[in-house]
Amino acid sequence: MATNLVRLLESSLRSNNAGVAQRTLRVFSSQQQQSEHSVEDDEEFRVLNLRTVKQQARRRVIKKEVVPPPRTTHMPVDQDWTAVWSGPRSFHPASVPLPLRQGYTERGAAAPSKYANAELMKIPNFLHLTPPAIRQQCEAIKKFCTPWPKGLESEATWKAVFPVEVVTTDYCHSLPTIRHPEARRVTITLKLSDLKFDAHAKDKFLRLVGDRYNQETGVLTFVADRCPTRKQNYDYALYLLTACYHESFITEPWEASKSEADMEVYLFERNKAKLSAEAILNWNATGEKQAPSATYADSVEKLINEGENEYNIAKYKEEVLKMLKIAN
Amino acid sequence: MNFLKKVTTQMLPMAEAHLSLGNNSALHTSAVCCRVQSGRYRITVKRDRPLTYEMANPPHFIGHRKSWNSWNTSTLKDALRPSQTAIEDVFIRKFITGTWHALVCSEIIIKRQHNMIRIAAIIRQAINARKMYFLIGYTEELLSYWMQCPVTLEFQTVADKKDVVFKYI
Repeated sequence: MATNLVRLLESSLRSNNAGVAQRTLRVFSSQQQQSEHSVEDDEEFRVLNLRTVKQQARRRVIKKEVVPPPRTTHMPVDQDWTAVWSGPRSFHPASVPLPLRQGYTERGAAAPSKYANAELMKIPNFLHLTPPAIRQQCEAIKKFCTPWPKGLESEATWKAVFPVEVVTTDYCHSLPTIRHPEARRVTITLKLSDLKFDAHAKDKFLRLVGDRYNQETGVLTFVADRCPTRKQNYDYALYLLTACYHESFITEPWEASKSEADMEVYLFERNKAKLSAEAILNWNATGEKQAPSATYADSVEKLINEGENEYNIAKYKEEVLKMLKIAN
Repeated sequence: MNFLKKVTTQMLPMAEAHLSLGNNSALHTSAVCCRVQSGRYRITVKRDRPLTYEMANPPHFIGHRKSWNSWNTSTLKDALRPSQTAIEDVFIRKFITGTWHALVCSEIIIKRQHNMIRIAAIIRQAINARKMYFLIGYTEELLSYWMQCPVTLEFQTVADKKDVVFKYI
């Protein structure tokens, strides 16, 4: 409607004189400009868009954040490295001012640099354990240390004072649990010579401990792992040692009935050899009886306990000749 | 066992018939297939497949040219929780590649010390620092809740994906 009205006005104005037309046109000028576009759109032919050229949407420009340069560029030469790298940490190229390279390349090519190098991040590093760091930590824990006790300077002295050795194992593993079933095992070792025995007690003790005693080294070993915790196992091992020791000093009534077949070693004192030797020595003798000499008894015991070897037989012969007073 | 008896009585004559027919074809053999493909990449025609250093070295070079991605004591002799540790590592890898979506440029390295888990990777600088800090905190918090132990992320960032490319094949 509005456009038609304007056209009508224009045509009527053209017929009128120019001065009036100009004035009226000025009045309508603002409206006319607005209406011009719609007239053109309406009347212009649309272009057949056969190829369907898509109007490209303007790509959004990704604004990149400004990344500061690596920290190594600002590091002073005399910085405190322990403050930079205080604990175990994966390698980071921007924090380590070293020109490191790692990786295998074909011959002639340089190894990959430290930037974006996953191999350097994989391997465990010891950058937190530099000598100054260790020194610092030692200084820090020094106040918790106590001086070494006096009189225990050499290994021989402290072994004499503390004859019992306790061996336990702690397991450090990379798991959320700190328990390990093997950590409860307690091993107690001591030398048999550190315990005081009489002949009967020693014999009984060795029978009680069985294969816990090593004949070659003379070391007694108690291993306890039957209880769930280490403390209980330690207590149990000490209890075993104590109980065996005190039990060995008790002489049961049935021990008197030990026959010759039960003896573990040949003893001259309780055997026929002693009686025979006494009979020979005291042949037709009246008054004080003679006893066979200790060296003779020793030689007989050795001959039977250790077996017949050249030395033992020669020794026995010598002793017999001496006892019978036969000149060689 | 009754049904077995029935089956055997029915089947036995058939089996015998089979045997009598073709004695020579009773056992089939074929060549041993020694093909190994995992962790190895094919050369493309245009030679434009980007490989990181990790991908460029096939698995038999582990311990020689490249090292392990999981560091823990579970695989030692008589060590505890080997299977649980492996499953947890797989879960951590999946979680991180999903959380840091399209940002992880390298393998995810999981190092365990005592009850501590340290996770290292190379990340693209595609998101701003604020989002990155949020994701670090989010990942650490959730993983430490699930694993019931402290988790630390030790990421290195690169400006572009091409920074980690070792070669093109």
